[in-house]
Amino acid sequence: MKIKFIFLLFIAFYLTIIIRLFFLQVIYSPANKSPYLKTNKLYPVRGRIYDQKNQALVLNQNSYQLYVEPKKVEDKDKLLHLLSENLEMEETSISAKLDMSKYWVAIAGGLTQEQKDKFDKLNLKGIGFDYQTKRFYPEASLSAHILGFLGKESQGEDVGYLGLEGFYDRDLRGLPGFLETERDVIGRPILIGVQQRVEAEDGRDLILTIDKNVQEISKKRLLEGLDKYKAKKGCIITANPKTMAILSLVCLPDYDLEKYYLFNENFYKNLAISDLYEPGSVFKPLIMAAALEEKKIKPNDTYNETGQVAVGEYNIKTWNDKYEGKISMTRILEKSSNVGMVYIGEKLGNRKIYNYFEKFGFGQNTGIDLEGEASGYLKPQKNWYPIDYTTVTFGQGIAITPIQMIRAFASIINGGYLMKPYLVQKIVSENKVVEIKPKVERKIFSQTTSDIIKKMLISTIENAEAKWDRPKGYIIGGKTGTAQVPIKGHYDVSKTIASFIGFAPADNPRFLTFVVLYEPKSSPWGSETAAPLFFDVAKDLIVYYGILLSQ
Amino acid sequence: MKNIFLRTTGLMIVGLIVLNLFVMIYGIVLSDEINNFEQKTDKLHKINLTLEKEVANLSSLKFAQEQAKEFDFTNSSAPQYIDQLKYAYR
Repeated sequence: MKIKFIFLLFIAFYLTIIIRLFFLQVIYSPANKSPYLKTNKLYPVRGRIYDQKNQALVLNQNSYQLYVEPKKVEDKDKLLHLLSENLEMEETSISAKLDMSKYWVAIAGGLTQEQKDKFDKLNLKGIGFDYQTKRFYPEASLSAHILGFLGKESQGEDVGYLGLEGFYDRDLRGLPGFLETERDVIGRPILIGVQQRVEAEDGRDLILTIDKNVQEISKKRLLEGLDKYKAKKGCIITANPKTMAILSLVCLPDYDLEKYYLFNENFYKNLAISDLYEPGSVFKPLIMAAALEEKKIKPNDTYNETGQVAVGEYNIKTWNDKYEGKISMTRILEKSSNVGMVYIGEKLGNRKIYNYFEKFGFGQNTGIDLEGEASGYLKPQKNWYPIDYTTVTFGQGIAITPIQMIRAFASIINGGYLMKPYLVQKIVSENKVVEIKPKVERKIFSQTTSDIIKKMLISTIENAEAKWDRPKGYIIGGKTGTAQVPIKGHYDVSKTIASFIGFAPADNPRFLTFVVLYEPKSSPWGSETAAPLFFDVAKDLIVYYGILLSQ
Repeated sequence: MKNIFLRTTGLMIVGLIVLNLFVMIYGIVLSDEINNFEQKTDKLHKINLTLEKEVANLSSLKFAQEQAKEFDFTNSSAPQYIDQLKYAYR
């Protein structure tokens, strides 16, 4: 009888437990979840960015967000004082954030491991840290405009802005995972409970075509150039003319990637891809190449340069208003004769000029893998006036970006191929490497035209009116440019955009470099500002690449 | 017969209790290990990022420039192969 009683007591006891558990876990529990069940988002590691030699340009580093739990704070004044001292923030601004009625208040983000360790030693009650990662730039702002930066979107999630961070945001960010796990009070997993883990997929790494040494050379030289020629801003772009793989791209002024938020957004603008300008005389070889391709002229044809040329109500003249009489087509480029170019434009014809602009891709994006590219504007042919066809032959009256200019120029010296410019050569994920090959958009010129124009451009440097300090023993081709700046329907004579585009070694170009200086004050001419700057860069690159003497 | 049944049941209950205890203790040990490994993985991840940063710093141009300054490797000591080719053939 006693045994039966005990047995029934046990049954009743267990039934009570089972019913209670049923109520707790099934009836009352929200979403049928155990109070020990925790769901955590597993954040992927954002992809890193390396240069062509696998040298890091962007990495991730440990970072902490410091928060305060006001209800646990014992001495508010002491806490404010210590926070202010260690965070280098004003006590008043911390005090303004620290709302004592709340349970959790974020105070500062982006703390380093060393800063966190310092706080840990202070053993302050009521403060805590959330782990985060932040971007780290071993080369500081060497490639600010190329890289872009990592900011926050409206929901507080990380998002890449501009440059590569913006363009490849989806590849870089990866996919978050989650961890659903039942844990006991000290955080150990309860093995008989729910344990579900979906691993995060880390972001993909980018391997660039950029060479950080070329980037450094360009930036150093551009900085010196801006200072020497007192220019407002400027860019140097260096590319492999055969593939349009960008080797360096620097525009100044730029900004500090670590503290991008301190800069006005005008500094974020990458002039090389988003600033439209009238190219001026560097544009002349494009028209010359088109006329050669269409067999409208030959290099040794002559033009009688007698004086100014009237087009409608406008008079076109040479830059120094001097005229040499009978000159060859090559000489037109050498002395950068505007009237000579008007003659070539007339030979080529309006329709062909416009066709070639379309072939060069003006008015369209080049497709470069950087966020923020401007397409430029090529107005419909029906809106062109006769004077427009005249002025475009010497690079005025058309607005393009520097990247469009260098791409078009590459096509005339690389055998006639219009290439898509690119900066990323490999996208590396955990178990896959995607290689990005050079892409031919279209073939515009024959090899013969390309060879002829290259010779003309070499001659342009050899016989230019300005004498430059060129690297001796090396054959270099190129062209200067001085463009006027249009303001409210007319050209401002006091402002110019000086440029130079050149390649070396001329027989088999290893690099093509485009230098643009905006509003230089020491001299308005490209031949006296951008050209010497180009030769400084070229000298450094010849040494860096170990290019052998041509002569 | 009844005795055998009772003994077997008793032994089974004792066996199950021992097994239960073993599973419970083993579970706690495993949980501890998992917890430990999770913490170690986190720590390794952080150390990895720190080391990656240090390596990148050491191979950076910024560091090379600092070193050049420290060792007084200035423009005057840089070879000028392009302008003065005689140096290149020495």
